[in-house]
Amino acid sequence: MNNLNVSVDLPHASAPPLSMPDAPPKITVRDLNFYYGQSKALKSINLTLGTNRVTAFIGPSGCGKSTLLRIFNRMYDLYPGQRADGQVLLDKTNILDPKLDLNLLRARIGMVFQKPTPFPMTIYENIAFGVRLYEKLSKSEMDERVEKALRGGALWDEVKDKLNASGLSLSGGQQQRLCIARTVAVRPEVILFDEPCSALDPISTAKIEELISELKEDYTIAIVTHNMQQAARVSDQTAFMYLGELVEFDQTSKIFTSPSDRRTQDYITGRFG
Amino acid sequence: MAEIVVQGGSLEASGPFDRARALSAFKLSDNLFYWTTRIAALSVLGILGGIILSLIVGAWPAMKTFGFEFLWTQRWAPSAQPEPVLGALGPIYGTLVTSFIAMLIAVPVGLGIAIFLTELCPQWLRRPIGIAIELLAGIPSIIYGMWGFFVLGPFLANTFQPLMIGLFEGVPVLGDIFAGPPSYLSLFNASLILAIMVLPFITAVSRDVFDTVPPVLKEAAYGVGCTTWEVVRSVVIPYTRVGVIGGVMLALGRALGETMAVTFIIGNSFRISSSIFAPGTTISAAIASEFAESDGLHQSSLILLGLLLFILTFFVLAAARLMLMRLDRKAGK
Repeated sequence: MNNLNVSVDLPHASAPPLSMPDAPPKITVRDLNFYYGQSKALKSINLTLGTNRVTAFIGPSGCGKSTLLRIFNRMYDLYPGQRADGQVLLDKTNILDPKLDLNLLRARIGMVFQKPTPFPMTIYENIAFGVRLYEKLSKSEMDERVEKALRGGALWDEVKDKLNASGLSLSGGQQQRLCIARTVAVRPEVILFDEPCSALDPISTAKIEELISELKEDYTIAIVTHNMQQAARVSDQTAFMYLGELVEFDQTSKIFTSPSDRRTQDYITGRFG
Repeated sequence: MAEIVVQGGSLEASGPFDRARALSAFKLSDNLFYWTTRIAALSVLGILGGIILSLIVGAWPAMKTFGFEFLWTQRWAPSAQPEPVLGALGPIYGTLVTSFIAMLIAVPVGLGIAIFLTELCPQWLRRPIGIAIELLAGIPSIIYGMWGFFVLGPFLANTFQPLMIGLFEGVPVLGDIFAGPPSYLSLFNASLILAIMVLPFITAVSRDVFDTVPPVLKEAAYGVGCTTWEVVRSVVIPYTRVGVIGGVMLALGRALGETMAVTFIIGNSFRISSSIFAPGTTISAAIASEFAESDGLHQSSLILLGLLLFILTFFVLAAARLMLMRLDRKAGK
């Protein structure tokens, strides 16, 4: 059975075999190039995000890791002059297909941003808002869903008495967990984290890292981070990117103990970047 | 080490005295600055109070003669015998109706333009439309008046009104609103001109505040799967509601007070008609067209009309504040 799968993949055999053996692929990237107008920001990227795995993207600023993340939910589509070519598959769906329904794609692939982005509404509405776009729920079902999402975001105990307060009244760390809860509430398959802790204090950061470890039970996770310890702590696989290229992609333990590329070693030991 | 000691010494030698003097000079200029700005701010209150006071003084004879009856008397007969009969109902009605219809048209269109410009418009079209909007704001009101008189008026009377009558004749309420003999000069004509005149205010202000929405917030909304409409409705407008309502109020203030263009095309009739295609008048149009030839009680009544416009505008602004407070409460602030 396994052999059969391999033979299907054979046409791509020229691309480096980066699929991790221990998890079925959720997102598969083949020969992906990305352009901001004339300048090429990503150069033939090949990698695979394993189902229910946490994949970390590290690399110096401007190396293209956030750009790559924003391709997975086609966020770049909002801006004219940005385009991608190559192939990105979510299961069997081609993400780069121009005819793809972007709203459905973004419901399947949620995103948490660097800065907390609560919507200008109450805490309850922040969660219910996304759910309501796709599902018609009764009041009690919605209450239940909101509670579940807030528990999922490890925020329930802190906000259960003030669900009608503005989302903006929470602290930075709470706002970020609200955004995670909001993302979870839509029941996506993949969650993208774009430096989710860079604006947070160490305690909030620890909470969110813990949360990410719990979330991978149910979701496939990609996280961009500048914090190498964070990548080492939370991820199963790590991709090191440099100047728009994917330099090395391997098990996190391998990347951080015996990287095979010189540049990876220099970066994780702090010699540049 | 030695250098540092020397430096420290020199500081001490010239330090305390000079610094105190420098500070006291600062203090003087700071005080001056404080009082200049304070006087500037207080002068606003002074001017406002002065205008209200002179309006009240000027309007006093009319208030004494007519009392509150002035508000609900429709008849406007300055040369009636033995006593002139003057009532503000016609102008108040005209002001409210024209402003209401103007906002009914201008708010959706203005917001629509602003949303299109900030969220949907291709880059190359953005500047031309933006500049056109700004030019619209720059056209003097008398030109709008002439255009309304020579172009819009005939079109409304000869084409649009017969069409509406054909559509709604016999329908209760709506039939009355569009009924009546055709007239180039009408409330509806004035309303349309007002709508065009206030459109740039709404568009320019809301476009600017829409641009202040952080891109990442919009991305987050798109990120949970919103369409552009849902992003605009649930994120962009709530985020910018204070600015948007500010722009709408600015526009409403202009619509309530606009004089020249309206005087040109509204017909200056104090009689209230159920039809919006009938001539009418507004407070400012009544004042503008009659003030020069008025005296005595007639003039005092016109000043009282001015005072009423002032109060009306004040209430509109207060209502806007109240609305904002209620919206804030709904958003959980």
